[in-house]
Amino acid sequence: MMQAEWSNLLMGFDLQFDVIHAIRHLFVAGFLPFPAGSTRSKLYNIMTSSKTNKKSNALWRFFSSVKLTIVLLIILAIASIAGTLIPQQGQGAVQFAKSLSPEWFRFFSSLNLFDMYHSLWFRILLGFLGLNLIICSIDRFSGSWKRFSTIPRPDRAKPFELLPPEQTFFVQTKIENPVLSIGRILQKRYKRTQNKEAGHDRFFFGEKGGYSHFGVYLIHMSVLIILVGGLIGSFFGFEAYVNILEGGKIDTVTLRKGMSPLKLGFEVRCDKFTVDFYENGAPKEYRSDLTFFVNGKEAEKRSALVNHPIQFKGVTFYQASYGKLPGKKIRLKIAKQASKDDITTLLIEPGRPIQLPEKEGKFIVVDVKGDLMGLGAAVEVLIQPAQGEEMYFWVFQNPQIVRKRLPAPMARSPKFNASAFKPYTFFLDHLESAYYTGLQVNKDPGVNMVWIGCFMMVAGFFVTFFTSHRKIWVRVSEEESGTRISVAGTASKNPVGFQRELENLTNDLKDMVKSE
Amino acid sequence: MINSIILSYITFVYFGSFMLYLFMMVNGRDIFGRLATIVTIVGFAVQTIAIVLRWMESYSLGIGHAPFSNLYESLIFFAWTVILLYLIMEWRTKNRTLGAFVTPLAFLALAYASFSPNVRSHIQPLIPALKSNWLISHVITCFFGYAAFGLSFGISIMYLLKRLDNDDRENLFLKLIPGKGVLDELNYQMVVIGFLMLTLGIITGSVWAHSAWGTYWSWDPKETWSLITWLIYASVLHSRMVRGWKGKKIAILCFIGFSCVLFTYFGVNYLAGLHSYAKS
Repeated sequence: MMQAEWSNLLMGFDLQFDVIHAIRHLFVAGFLPFPAGSTRSKLYNIMTSSKTNKKSNALWRFFSSVKLTIVLLIILAIASIAGTLIPQQGQGAVQFAKSLSPEWFRFFSSLNLFDMYHSLWFRILLGFLGLNLIICSIDRFSGSWKRFSTIPRPDRAKPFELLPPEQTFFVQTKIENPVLSIGRILQKRYKRTQNKEAGHDRFFFGEKGGYSHFGVYLIHMSVLIILVGGLIGSFFGFEAYVNILEGGKIDTVTLRKGMSPLKLGFEVRCDKFTVDFYENGAPKEYRSDLTFFVNGKEAEKRSALVNHPIQFKGVTFYQASYGKLPGKKIRLKIAKQASKDDITTLLIEPGRPIQLPEKEGKFIVVDVKGDLMGLGAAVEVLIQPAQGEEMYFWVFQNPQIVRKRLPAPMARSPKFNASAFKPYTFFLDHLESAYYTGLQVNKDPGVNMVWIGCFMMVAGFFVTFFTSHRKIWVRVSEEESGTRISVAGTASKNPVGFQRELENLTNDLKDMVKSE
Repeated sequence: MINSIILSYITFVYFGSFMLYLFMMVNGRDIFGRLATIVTIVGFAVQTIAIVLRWMESYSLGIGHAPFSNLYESLIFFAWTVILLYLIMEWRTKNRTLGAFVTPLAFLALAYASFSPNVRSHIQPLIPALKSNWLISHVITCFFGYAAFGLSFGISIMYLLKRLDNDDRENLFLKLIPGKGVLDELNYQMVVIGFLMLTLGIITGSVWAHSAWGTYWSWDPKETWSLITWLIYASVLHSRMVRGWKGKKIAILCFIGFSCVLFTYFGVNYLAGLHSYAKS
């Protein structure tokens, strides 16, 4: 009772498999041994006999084994797990490497475990999977092709053995021209229909969905295409980044691998960088207005936003990050200790020597920090007096914080004393900061191949999981008092859905014959 | 935040339906089963309303987005997809026994979302990287995949329990569980649905990552773990379709597969990576 109820589900979902069918029909072709002497085993022997020389080759057997596929999938899974536990690349990997003993470090780095997804052995594993896929597919393809292309004889008796009563009916008339009436219905619904007369019987055959045998090759090919697309990307593409100050122009980016510089062959200027914030202060959107120059001439103006990259000459620019760089312009005040009124305000750029107010020498702002040691903005000043020794000291925007936070001896050290060069005291009045945009700069000629592969994979899933090769036979038997019509068939998948199809076909034939 | 209050009450509704399914299994009275279905459907309807309310509320806050953007919202959606898939299955099979094994998933997800101090329930504005049309398709495909694997997990437990049943045994609970062949078949269907959805989820995620991060695959822990899950279920399909494995072996593999799903969902939050917004 319950079994019957549960099987109702199978009708609705239309995607289940008869596993026995799947095993026997769909893939095996010589992989699983059939009992010797069975008709099936003879059939498959015929199918695969052309490959006996290949089959005897141990290497071929090794790579055509699905056991190997499963083992490779599991090894890849375990290796990937390890890769998520061991920090890969970047800061984390460096820190982790430092914490290892020299022996372990040698072991880890010899196996490339700090960047394992790009290591040779990981690629060899993927290569094995690829080879396994190719050879498995070649090994089984001829079997699938036979199952697709072979048209069975229409006058077979076997399909009609043990026919359920729903698939046969009797009419008390003689059907004048079954080829015209029944044949036409079948032609409409099925492909490659055939018919044959045998004694008092006329047999019909039709099929559809034969292509479902090839879904699995579509999937396997898609995996290969994705792998090749990935390889093309890693050999002929690059991943790099660059920070451009607002108003600045670059022609070189830094490769993520090895941190080496790469000339783009054109220039990029960041005309404007804008960032919007939500009310709670979180960033809402950022955007860089970029201008591209080829040979010094303006070629294109485009804007990069997060999730909306732009492409120029095959190179893609992604809005990745942003930041503020202090110190395009610095406003310094210099006071003579003697009089409070004698204050000079200077707007200066770092690195350029400036005359001291009374020509006692020069000073240069040698370093600018937006935040020095958590004490706020500061600039480092180098004094080059006309007479005497050079001296360096930091000038903070907020000297009170320095006095409060640092222990007294440190706060009084000459390095933090803005009055170190007598008789002057320096004040940092204002640091003009500029935005810079952080761009990810990539070239990946393999990406379209990856998308094609993905599309093929999904298409292949639909063919493999949701279609089946259905073959039907119809027998029209003339009997003394009328005609008996029987409908039989086999399907490579979804036996319950197919059962319903057979019953529908029987009913439609019944209606047609009765209305004549 | 009326929606999160409603959602926290639905936790108890699903707990109630779990208890009713369990009563039905223990004493075999059909009335409990029918009640359980009604309670589940009501809970599901109210949960749907609450999700829509949350969606609308985000627009009235001026930060409108689909409610799929953080851990809280994903847990709510996970519970919703599990119940939806289960109800479809109950309706198709006219059998309620799976309810006792699946409703706990929805109940636990909602309980974690509503009562864990680590999960923030208020509506947050979307960070720029999440502002994409791919958000909806990526989350929906992934979570339907997770839900199908969740159902497969429940069916696998049923299968392993049913193995304890035999003719001499007078255990109503075990007797009510459908036959092993049917369970195996259903499990397989769920794996197929889950595998297809997970594949679509990984693909939509790749397309999105390609436009947001500049690379379709960066071996971020969440990406890697979704691949691990994919590899496990791919071996389930191969071992079954080609090697002819059935029953217990498949049930155990599905068990491992669902542990990988859970790790992809929760575990990777303890590893550093790009999917950081899914943590809270």
